[in-house]
Amino acid sequence: MVSISFLNPLSPEGKDIVRELGSFEGISQDIPQLRSTVTHNPSQEIADDSEIPSNFLELALKRIEWYVKKKNHREFNGRRYAYLSDDQITKYDVISFYLLCQAIGVKFGPNSRETRVMVESQGDLIRERLGKLHVDEARQLVEQSLHLYLDDDQVHWTFFEELLSSRKIRLTELILDQGELILDHQDFMERFGPKIKHRNPLSMYQLLIGDELKELIMIKLIMQETEDYIKQVHEKAKKMVEPNPILLELAEQVAEVLSRPMQSYGYGSMGGGGGPLKAGPLNHQAFPPCVKKALEGIKSGGRNDGIVLFITPFISYARLYPDVFRMNITKRVSDQDPNLEKTENEVLPLIYEAAQRCVPPLFDDQPQEKVNINAKLGFGMHSTLKMEHEGETTWYTPMSCEKIKLHLPPLCKPDDLCKKIGNPLSYYNRRIWEVNNLKTEGSKTQEEGDAEKHSKTEVSGVQKETDLTKSNTSDPNSGGL
Amino acid sequence: MYLKPTSPNERRQYYREEWDVKNIPDYIRESLIQREFGFDHMGRGPNDRYRVFKNMDYLRKFMRYRAPFAAYSSVAFYHKPRRRDGWIKAELVFDVDAKDIPIRSCGCSNVCEVCLNQAKDIVHGLVDTIKGDLGLSNIHVVYSGRGYHIRVLDDLVMGADSDVRSQIVKYLVGSDVPRSEYSNQGMKYNLEHFTIPFAYPQVFTNRMKQAILAVNLETEIDGVNKNILKAVIKHRDLLKDHQWGIFRKNIGPIRYHKLVKGIASLNLTLVDAKVSIDLKRILRLPTSLHSGVSMISTEIKNLETFDPFQDAVPKFVYERD
Ligand code: SF4
Ligand SMILES: [Zn+2]
Repeated sequence: MVSISFLNPLSPEGKDIVRELGSFEGISQDIPQLRSTVTHNPSQEIADDSEIPSNFLELALKRIEWYVKKKNHREFNGRRYAYLSDDQITKYDVISFYLLCQAIGVKFGPNSRETRVMVESQGDLIRERLGKLHVDEARQLVEQSLHLYLDDDQVHWTFFEELLSSRKIRLTELILDQGELILDHQDFMERFGPKIKHRNPLSMYQLLIGDELKELIMIKLIMQETEDYIKQVHEKAKKMVEPNPILLELAEQVAEVLSRPMQSYGYGSMGGGGGPLKAGPLNHQAFPPCVKKALEGIKSGGRNDGIVLFITPFISYARLYPDVFRMNITKRVSDQDPNLEKTENEVLPLIYEAAQRCVPPLFDDQPQEKVNINAKLGFGMHSTLKMEHEGETTWYTPMSCEKIKLHLPPLCKPDDLCKKIGNPLSYYNRRIWEVNNLKTEGSKTQEEGDAEKHSKTEVSGVQKETDLTKSNTSDPNSGGL
Repeated sequence: MYLKPTSPNERRQYYREEWDVKNIPDYIRESLIQREFGFDHMGRGPNDRYRVFKNMDYLRKFMRYRAPFAAYSSVAFYHKPRRRDGWIKAELVFDVDAKDIPIRSCGCSNVCEVCLNQAKDIVHGLVDTIKGDLGLSNIHVVYSGRGYHIRVLDDLVMGADSDVRSQIVKYLVGSDVPRSEYSNQGMKYNLEHFTIPFAYPQVFTNRMKQAILAVNLETEIDGVNKNILKAVIKHRDLLKDHQWGIFRKNIGPIRYHKLVKGIASLNLTLVDAKVSIDLKRILRLPTSLHSGVSMISTEIKNLETFDPFQDAVPKFVYERD
């Protein structure tokens, strides 16, 4: 029988496991049993000994690593982490979960990227684990688990206020009647059965609610509880004299896993004349004609669109996530710039400068456009960039040439390279690639003027490229521990 | 005679002869000292804010002597209303302005009987959903002068933050297209919103119907061209008998999808979302005068029989020549 704590470490069963362990003592000691469980799992693929977690801390990091790789690696191989879905690891997994929450709570607090990753990875893990279980067993576990939260038969939707507020669930996804959430089959039939015509009410129940909605709600509730738990830890830690060094170290390692560059997870060169691109300081010389023109200031008329819809996405992606189109993975600004330093110091100033160079200066008569700029960066409609607002809006991707020609025609003054691209960002990437390649090959073909004016940025561009080569050759799986 | 601005003399007459502080609804009287009041004296917006009244008599005197152009009170309850501080909770409010209905059948430039009626129908639908789906009670409907305010004073939601309120707005107005693909044990099934006669899909179907019955050839809907509009107008009577399936078939499934998507995004403006998510809003005080149109903001006992041109017109309007 699978323990409920395999899905929900915060359940009473999960808490019992923690209590049994008692203290932190010996937390980093090897657990031969864990190793043997991993190696004996029939679906497990092992390429290197470092892939086998041998204690609680290593298992904790593997949980995070699994999530990060799964999200970022197109050819992610789940069989390398098969043990994470094996319920025999439950008692180790629960401890790892608590270690992670505490480490992240102590060091980073509830509004951090680390917390978001922890909470989301927990959600994904539950889904993964449910998928591997037998249908009946999964169903039973979900029922049991839901019961912990919804001990009443009738639950008013306002019970989910927190989940609604954090947008973990949408109100329109819930099946409501008289304020109550309908999950139960009988309840469903009583309330809606008579209204359903031309269809079988039972199959309608299975489609609209069935296992899917129950699973969704259970998972989101556990995610919320995880977040709340991290918050609690954080509050307590503020009053503590000295946090446990083991936790601090684990926190550092979690941050390290998150910051490993994408390329080390196995993106080779992508072809298309580009090669992998790493974000680096902006090189103004590589901007396409339209961007150069917009940065000089836009005349009345196109000002708002030019700054908010065109320049803001372009500058932010060019600086933080230039290969968004190639990766095709949606990200948040903080995924690329965890403490928003680059955004605050490099991206925003450039956008603001361009805004002030407009005629008339954009913020003079429309200071509210600052809020819209923040919104396009994904930080909701607020006057300041705050982590807790991130995700309220999405990070707008750069406009295509086609759109620019349509909405901001005076800006588009195409040159030769323009013929080969469809988006100003691709223009930028090509130019950067050209510049870097010419430079690294040791030739000095760079135009004199350019090299002089922008020597600083060029040099760091080269350094980036070297870093990249290094990380590409290192074994992606050997890092961490 | 109707809908013209009020002169300062008429204002004074109204507050001296017709207005009675006792008609202010209980839900405001009972929480008087926790609310912030705001006034517009010159018709240039409510600049006189942070006002607090210790009792109804102070409010009575103020209104009679100042005869404001417009009067407002906060939807929020505060420990320190004078500083708009110590927020306790706020009414959940929905503002349906006849002038801002996204798909209006009248085409007038301000408000008229037609769009005011349309606003009333919308309010009807919203209130039904607030009660039937969300299970909330203590709901008040107020005629605002140019539309309607729905004010919910149910403690289940008065503490809700802006994010929760915005989710409620989306549910009520039908701004998310319900998914139509469902799966069960590996099999995919199609269920259009109109085949689900309950919960959110039903709300969505009702809002859709309301909008479709109001469109005309001039209506602008994202992704919907004149040809689609023509087909919609030609076939829309089918909806009166709930023949959605045939309607969809006649329009064509792809064009139907565009229609539904376009209307869903217009629905977001069915109520003024800014008002609903603002936890510190001030809202026109029931019984006070809307001087822009010479109408009384009126608490409605029975929405069915309420007629603004009967029940919300101040006496001085009839004395105009
Ligand atoms: S073609 Fe594209 S990149 Fe080139 S100037 Fe025009 S908009 Fe900019
Ligand atoms: Zn009208």
